[in-house]
Amino acid sequence: MGVSNMTWKSSLLAASLAALGLGAMAGGASAAGPTCSGGAIKVGAVSTITGPADFSEVPKATQAAFDAVNAAGGINGCKIDYTIADDKADPAVAAQAARDLIDNKEAVALVGSASLLDCAVNGATYARKDIRSIQGLGVDAACFSSPNIAPVNVGPFTLTTAVGYYATNVLKAKKLCAFFIIIGGTQEAYKKGIEDWEKISGQKIHLLDLTLPFQGDLTPYVIKARDAGCDTVLTNQVEPQVVQLIKTVDAQKITGINWLFLAPGYTEQVAKALADSPQPIYAGTEWEPYTETDSAANAEWVADMKKANRPLTAFSQGGYLAAQMFLKVVGGIDGEVTRDSVNAALLKMQPISNPLAGSPYVFGEAKTHSPMRATKVMKLDKGKWTVETADWVHLPDTN
Amino acid sequence: MTRASLRASLALVVALAVGGAAVVGLLPSYWVFLATSVLITGVALQSLGLVAGRTGMIALCQMSFAGVGAWTVGYLNLAEAPGGLTVWILLGGLAAVPFGVAIGLPALRLRGINLAIVTLSFATAFDTILATITYPGQTTFLQVPRPALFDSDGGYFVFVLIVYAVIAVALEFLARSRLGASWLAVRHSERAAAAHGVSIAASKLSAFAISAFIAGISGGLLAGYLGTLVAENFSMMASLSLYAVAVMTGAHFAEGAIIGGLLVVMFPEILRRFDLPQDIGNVLFAIGATQALSTGETMSETFRRLARKLRPARRTKVADAPVSDLPAPVAHAVPVALEIDNLSVRYGSVVALDHVSLKVPAGTVAGLIGPNGAGKSTFIDAVTGFLHAYDGSVKLAGAALEARPAHLRARAGVRRTWQTNRIAPELTVGGYLNLAAKGLTQAEIEAVLDWLDCPDPEVPVTTVDAGTRRLLDVAGVVAARPAVVLLDEPAAGQSHEESVRLGQRIAQIPKLFGSAVLLVEHDMDLVRSVCSEITVLDFGKVIASGPPAKVLSEPAVKKAYLGIEEESVAA
Amino acid sequence: MDALLTSAVAGLTAGGTYALLGVCAVFTYRLVSVVNFTGAAIGTAGTFALIALTEAGYPTWPSVLAGILVGAFVGVAIGYVMTRWFAESSASTKAAVTVALLVGLIAVGLRLTGGQHPHVMPELFPGSAFRMAGVEVTFASVLTIGLAVLFTVLSDLFLNRTGVGLHLRALSDRPMAAELLGVKVQLLSLLVWGLTGAFTTFALMIIAPQRSPNFMTLSLLVVPALAAALVGLFRSFWLTLAGGILLGVIEGMASTVDSISQYRSAIPFLVVLAVLLWSQREARWDDAR
Repeated sequence: MGVSNMTWKSSLLAASLAALGLGAMAGGASAAGPTCSGGAIKVGAVSTITGPADFSEVPKATQAAFDAVNAAGGINGCKIDYTIADDKADPAVAAQAARDLIDNKEAVALVGSASLLDCAVNGATYARKDIRSIQGLGVDAACFSSPNIAPVNVGPFTLTTAVGYYATNVLKAKKLCAFFIIIGGTQEAYKKGIEDWEKISGQKIHLLDLTLPFQGDLTPYVIKARDAGCDTVLTNQVEPQVVQLIKTVDAQKITGINWLFLAPGYTEQVAKALADSPQPIYAGTEWEPYTETDSAANAEWVADMKKANRPLTAFSQGGYLAAQMFLKVVGGIDGEVTRDSVNAALLKMQPISNPLAGSPYVFGEAKTHSPMRATKVMKLDKGKWTVETADWVHLPDTN
Repeated sequence: MTRASLRASLALVVALAVGGAAVVGLLPSYWVFLATSVLITGVALQSLGLVAGRTGMIALCQMSFAGVGAWTVGYLNLAEAPGGLTVWILLGGLAAVPFGVAIGLPALRLRGINLAIVTLSFATAFDTILATITYPGQTTFLQVPRPALFDSDGGYFVFVLIVYAVIAVALEFLARSRLGASWLAVRHSERAAAAHGVSIAASKLSAFAISAFIAGISGGLLAGYLGTLVAENFSMMASLSLYAVAVMTGAHFAEGAIIGGLLVVMFPEILRRFDLPQDIGNVLFAIGATQALSTGETMSETFRRLARKLRPARRTKVADAPVSDLPAPVAHAVPVALEIDNLSVRYGSVVALDHVSLKVPAGTVAGLIGPNGAGKSTFIDAVTGFLHAYDGSVKLAGAALEARPAHLRARAGVRRTWQTNRIAPELTVGGYLNLAAKGLTQAEIEAVLDWLDCPDPEVPVTTVDAGTRRLLDVAGVVAARPAVVLLDEPAAGQSHEESVRLGQRIAQIPKLFGSAVLLVEHDMDLVRSVCSEITVLDFGKVIASGPPAKVLSEPAVKKAYLGIEEESVAA
Repeated sequence: MDALLTSAVAGLTAGGTYALLGVCAVFTYRLVSVVNFTGAAIGTAGTFALIALTEAGYPTWPSVLAGILVGAFVGVAIGYVMTRWFAESSASTKAAVTVALLVGLIAVGLRLTGGQHPHVMPELFPGSAFRMAGVEVTFASVLTIGLAVLFTVLSDLFLNRTGVGLHLRALSDRPMAAELLGVKVQLLSLLVWGLTGAFTTFALMIIAPQRSPNFMTLSLLVVPALAAALVGLFRSFWLTLAGGILLGVIEGMASTVDSISQYRSAIPFLVVLAVLLWSQREARWDDAR
């Protein structure tokens, strides 16, 4: 009698232990990674491809990174279905494209967008529809002050502060002057960039001109800089105007000023066009300098881009980085990959480091996102860009 | 006029309601979203149609006016002004009006091309200045809220549809009013419009102001649509391509604005789906606009023309309207209606008129004849105010006309017809009569038309032949019952029977309408039978004057016409 | 005062450009009765031909010649459109056509050339000529102003003092009458279009290096050019020359005055407004109305 009781109890114990074990195993099986019931993870990007700018290399690099992952079987068997939408720098088209991706294509997130106005136009839509964007190249000010958007680049506004910081720290600038081309919605952001620099450096800006024209003769401005006694001039011009500015400076035979540009000035075409200029020319970078193809930090990116037959430009770094961040975040999701689960993952994520950038990337719960705050400064030397700062220039916090 | 306006408006509202219901009911929300964009572009095109299509001015800054409206709405939103979007878009439209007036003002009395240059420079300036002003609320992610009832995609579509319909109906009524007719007349021939007493300046300025108002509204609608805006929405290139589209589709027609909106919005959508570069659209608009300008026919006009062929032919003659229905004669009490004293005109060293004196007594038909080149047209131009300067005096019912411009002389009571016809073909017969003589009832219009054998008021002038248009010209000036009517060769191109009939009519003018008549003619039979007194001009001088029988038998007059003395032929 | 003089001189390059393009616009108008909104775009097409050839490695001066020929060709093409279908149209219609063509031309131009990267634009006349009020006045600037003056003098002489010029002026308004007289109007018109196209191309080639060459921004130089032409009332070459230079100088001065610097782009507009209001007083009933 005693033995059967014991046997009954032990059976029960064994059974419950077995059940627990099964349960544990089942739980372990469900914690096996991201799944996709629809067969693919749908992602999209809104970029300016035709029109006054062409940022297509950013989403195309994201595409290349995703294609490589798909070729290797996808994330946990899930292929990534990536759609690139062109907004033509037209706000109505940008709004349409975002709606198309969100409503029709049912994207779980936006990755690798690079547009002149996507953030300003669609930021509120993204908030309303609760979808997040890992911006490949943040251009307009809203990209850095929106709850649903976190760019992987430093951005022109933070870069202004960073490059200014470099000027006072390393170039020992005493009279920094800034000239800005102000287009839609960027005035406040550039002003803040300069204010932050003033806080960090303790200096006051010697001359701030927010009226630099997008087209037209630059002689009056160059003369203005010279006559004001600037020893360093910082501008936010893009490639063609950078060349025009330096050519005008040379024509006016100006010497004794350091000329600082933001990331758009750091291209090989600029280097070639200004090879003969005697002016000291510097440019800040968004990521690890792309012209340093031998650098260890660039190795993975270079290899993947070469495999995909894509050109090696700064833009493609942005797209590639955005893709890597997304892949890492999604890889950590347990269960169905939906817009909600991606949002949750982005909210909870730990900062991810990548050799391409000087700061770790994180989304998080903050109201605004501008995670990247490190740059390297390049100098133009006889038609080639050389790295002036072997280590990252980290911008100190202003608050 | 009102009947036709009501009919057209009803058709429009029904069409829009049906179309709108179909869109909201059948299409998924993405397409409803696009359709809203079509309508907003349609509103902007309607504004452009008014100034470019109807009044014939080249306006290259419509999107800048829209920008004024949009930014005004943004500021009102930021300031939390009461009224909501509905009130704000109206205020936005009003804010754009001063800009429209300021830009239209300098180009009023000069060539239309000057307006093109002014508007283009304004668009350029506005572009760069707007770029420096961030959209109100954008930095704090403040969105422009839609009216509570219309918050969803479908709801906002309905809101924009209502605004579009209201504007379209208002424009329909305006188009058929005297103001609308004056726009078409000004576009076709400024002289003819001024000769009807239309102030060209007021006409153009009203068109420009109303157009700026509507464009401002379209900007406000865009603000509600997208929530926040960037300056690129209202760039100069956008204004230029909008102009090309308006010219191509004929945006002054209700369907033209919709077609234009469809082209602007759907074309890039289609290109996007075919993976083609989206700036091909502009090239096609350029080609389309050039094509429309070369044929003189926009897309809407093509459709209407084809539609007219399908409709049964309407009656072209008015049912007999009794003479009693004619507008009452206006009694002008002075004995001498028109008195010209020593009128002299020189073109450089050429003397066109040399001390010409003439009297047109009230209640009579006087004649002015002379060989070609005698100066008759110059005479009429001088009297009616179309010459820059002349010596001598022109008195109407005793009052001197010297300082007055052409349109004021017309209003004072001097009306004229034209040798080359200058009636805007886009008008209807009734519309033209309404323009020439305001304040007539429908019955009176039909009576005047019937009295002169002119077609039905509904008939478009394009279908009327040249000879009948001349009669229509006469009908217009006569119906206005001015103190004096100057008829410039009204019987040209008429058959003998027709000119006899016309002559009888002209003889009746003083009694039926109270106006004196000065008839310039080459047809001697007509002159002999109708005029009580004639004056003969030759090389700018008066060579004879008096009753027809006496004057026409004078040897000097015969010599002027034949070129040589009568005796030398006989000899 | 000295700073103002400096900024005024700094604006001379721009002024010369506007003057040159403005004089071309007046020349076109007086000979073929068209207010040409595509004037600068035609020159831009030729300039970009030069850029394309230079980037492909061809030597500079033959490429310049080729570019000028391209510019002349584009001018003739547009002239062909105007003379074939719009010879008898009103002035407004003709202007509207050039506006439409401008839209298409810019779209095609931007598509073919792209605005992103700086193009290699050879500097045809490098170096500075002299220094004035602290500003290096470049050879390009001097040449631009010099060409503007030369074209003004030649046009003025040709149109006002020669028999051929007199005939051409008389015929510009009445092409049909001229045809009946046996004058090959279309041929003459195409010649004028080609000539102005070539001249505008050369002018833009000189100034393009100083302004980042972008198809759209160069084509839109037509706006200040027409403003300058308006100062001359589309009649007087000398007034147009003065107007263009004045426009550039005022723009230069406005750039230095901080309070109005951001409104400097409104200057052509204000000039146009002032000129039109002034010439309103003399409005007459001419043929166009």
